[in-house]
Amino acid sequence: MTAATVAAVLAVGAVAGLDLVSVPQAMLGRPLVAGFLGGLVAGSPLAGLATGAVLELFAFETLPVGASRYPDWGPAAAASGALAAQRGGAWDAAWMAGIMVVALVFAWLGGFGMLLVRRLNAGHLRRRLPALESGDHRALLALQVGGIARDLVRAAVATGLTLWIGGRVARHVELGWRAPHALADVAVVGTALGVAVWSAWRLFGNGKARGWLAAGAVAGVALVAGMLAW
Amino acid sequence: MVARAEPVPGFRSALARLFTIQAAFTYERMLGVGFAFASEPLLRGLRRREGGGPAFGAALAREASYFNAHPYLAALAVGALARAENDGVAPERIERLRAALIGPLGSLGDRLIWAGWLPACAAVGLLLVALSAGGWAVLAFLVLYNLMHVSLRVWGLRVGWRAGVGVAGALASPALQRALEVVAPLAALVVGAALPAVLGWFPFRAHWEVFAAAAAALGFAELVRAMQGRATGLVVAAFALAVVVAVGMAW
Repeated sequence: MTAATVAAVLAVGAVAGLDLVSVPQAMLGRPLVAGFLGGLVAGSPLAGLATGAVLELFAFETLPVGASRYPDWGPAAAASGALAAQRGGAWDAAWMAGIMVVALVFAWLGGFGMLLVRRLNAGHLRRRLPALESGDHRALLALQVGGIARDLVRAAVATGLTLWIGGRVARHVELGWRAPHALADVAVVGTALGVAVWSAWRLFGNGKARGWLAAGAVAGVALVAGMLAW
Repeated sequence: MVARAEPVPGFRSALARLFTIQAAFTYERMLGVGFAFASEPLLRGLRRREGGGPAFGAALAREASYFNAHPYLAALAVGALARAENDGVAPERIERLRAALIGPLGSLGDRLIWAGWLPACAAVGLLLVALSAGGWAVLAFLVLYNLMHVSLRVWGLRVGWRAGVGVAGALASPALQRALEVVAPLAALVVGAALPAVLGWFPFRAHWEVFAAAAAALGFAELVRAMQGRATGLVVAAFALAVVVAVGMAW
């Protein structure tokens, strides 16, 4: 990967991470989007999209509610998408299993990174408190800009680490895989879809929505049957 | 009586700032700092009044105190409280209104967006990926999601400003209640369709692998359910995949 590509991936990951909470919460940080954009800047948007779609299934579990700690999918998805684009070639589930382990770990760690940013924001707020209590609008601007800058740095670091470690781990797994590839296929799809199925059931498994969930599932199964028959 | 078409002074600037409402998030004040930052353009009228500097400062300091709600629907509170400040409502009443809005705006936003519209749009995106729409799936997801997102912020700011201290009535608006009724069944239907469809999109080598993956997904969903309270699905999945990787390499 060239230095320019790495810089572009870091920029995409930083923006995706910033989007989660700070600015503008437009879902640029969802894995589907960040994976696609990571792949796009690294030369293969569809390879990035495939990685992003798998991560999106895991992300169904995440409800970014209030002050709770939740995973930051954007930087991990952007880096994974770029690595998939760089790798090129056909789907390799062993490689995918390797990159997923790293992406899941860094998405999870991203939640802790956000805690750190919020604590740094609190320190900044304490230093600006007299100005804020006197209604100084410049103090507000400084706090907002400071918060954005800290979050941007956090997201860029998370992207860089996923890119660096993820690339090595996924390559190592791909080269060292000895089991039948069906095992990796079933494991990647089973875990990703399993988390999504549980999340769907948790959200819609009670009350009136349950019937709609079942109706949708029937339609989806019919679609799969059609795709397999095709 | 406030006219319906009454312009909101500083509307564009306040709207743009609303997109950064969580930028300086802290556990002490939650959205408070961002709330004041977004309110500031709406409060400038106070500063322009004769001797209004102290009133502007006091209002801004009040708006920067603790506030927590869904970030999109916070626009409603920003508009309403700024209007109350401009109308010279007593500070104690403004603070009571602020505290009273936290719960309903949080709950409404969580149900409407996080547990409804977001999963629905993500499922549409995945469904389109499964149907080989490529990059169009991403575009469709972003456009669909942000139609609701941006509309809520614009609506919230306008309606909040118009209603002022009477903002509670806006929360009972028929359109909002209807949206709440519709969003969960809609999301359930699309998510229900998307998950099996995605299964058909994966490039399996043989048909039996599809059934094995479906069985593995159902088994893994049950494992995640059983682990609730001890570990999230993400952690269980990372651990399970790490074990599979170790087994696959040591085979």
